[in-house]
Amino acid sequence: MVVLFAALLNPSTGGDNILSLLLSLVWFAFLMIFFLYPSFGQRMQLSYMLRDLERKLNKLKIIKDEINQITVETIKRVGKPEKDPAPDINRLSEFFIIQPESMDPYGLVYKLEHILETGESVYEQEVAKLAPHATEHQVKSLTNLVEVLRGINTIYRVVRHYYLLGKKTANIYMVLQIQMVLPQIIEIAESYRQAAVAFSKGQPIGDGVGPLVAAKLVNGMEKERYEIAKDTVVQEIELENRKVYVVRAIGPGGTVGRPGEGVKQLVEKLPENPKLIITIDAALKLEGEETGKIAEGVGVAIGGPGVDKYKIEELAKSRGIPLYAFVIFQSITEAITPMRESIAKAADQVLEKVKQLILEKVKSGESVVVAGIGNTIGVGLG
Amino acid sequence: MSEPSIMMGGRSRERTPEPLTFLKCLSCGVENSRPFKENDYVLKIVEDEKCPKCGGTRSKIVNIYVPEKKESK
Repeated sequence: MVVLFAALLNPSTGGDNILSLLLSLVWFAFLMIFFLYPSFGQRMQLSYMLRDLERKLNKLKIIKDEINQITVETIKRVGKPEKDPAPDINRLSEFFIIQPESMDPYGLVYKLEHILETGESVYEQEVAKLAPHATEHQVKSLTNLVEVLRGINTIYRVVRHYYLLGKKTANIYMVLQIQMVLPQIIEIAESYRQAAVAFSKGQPIGDGVGPLVAAKLVNGMEKERYEIAKDTVVQEIELENRKVYVVRAIGPGGTVGRPGEGVKQLVEKLPENPKLIITIDAALKLEGEETGKIAEGVGVAIGGPGVDKYKIEELAKSRGIPLYAFVIFQSITEAITPMRESIAKAADQVLEKVKQLILEKVKSGESVVVAGIGNTIGVGLG
Repeated sequence: MSEPSIMMGGRSRERTPEPLTFLKCLSCGVENSRPFKENDYVLKIVEDEKCPKCGGTRSKIVNIYVPEKKESK
């Protein structure tokens, strides 16, 4: 056999011609495949893309499983439940909220508010049942942790859906779309993993910069404190004979409170309209922008579903109160992971700017409302 | 529902950032830091940690953040 093969390759025995013939046959076979089966190249490309998608989907699954493990361990450690919480945590990770019907937009904001509040209360009660020994603040942070799990679970299910659908239908365009956005999705999933660690330990996150400014403003100067709406507190201080009402969520548990309802209730109770309403919040930076950059403007700086923003805007419009806002730029990852130095340092600068604005725009004897917006995890009331 | 079968490669995952807690001594006003401990929060009064300068036992947590690495020139 070896001798025959050597002879075939040996030019002196005429092997050169045979080898050329063989190679030509192979090329001809390839040509015919591409000619008779035009989508062959696309098939090969699809199989390569599906393999890539499969690898990334596995990475997502590993992150999801890790967050699940962190959640179960934290609930066991903090809440000391009598039975294994894992099955109930899995059930909560599939929890959903159905958006209200928007065909008739009248009253939509209040319908949305009602549904969100119901969802939030139910979720919190369920987590409290899982962690009977957790304090009120710890229950709120644990609720955040389970919400992170719910978020990553949704991401994983959606990506898996497109992967399997693309594989089943051999639809290269469907696979291509999910493959294109997967690097960003993986980055968000990685942020969720870090967020889970932060929530499990009660560390302040980037989104907490609003309440951090509020806490620093009040620090040591509080005259009175009262709860104005669910999980939302007002702290009264005096700044060079100006009355400052600071509204923020109750920390150090992880909650954003109800700043819209809080500001509305507060202003309606005051004998006179405040001179200004100032909101301070984290904002998403664009790629290339510096983390911790501060910008100021007018309007209501509140993200989320829009209920709180709407309430403050309505109130301010009806009473003619000017709205000022400060935002601190950060990426989505920085907003949900432990607070970075540049964001914490920006809080000190915003504090000075807020004080300066109050002294400039509010006369002695007048009042102003300052709302620190964001998640208060790891930021106490003092 | 089938699960993907190929396991991911050995790429290392991102490290979780570890924050520091900054405490201000209520006796001498000196600020010092240590690694974050569970139950730390901003504006918490800590009663059981000695100030390295004056030995005072009461301090207030004034900041908790992840320090950024200084770029070498």
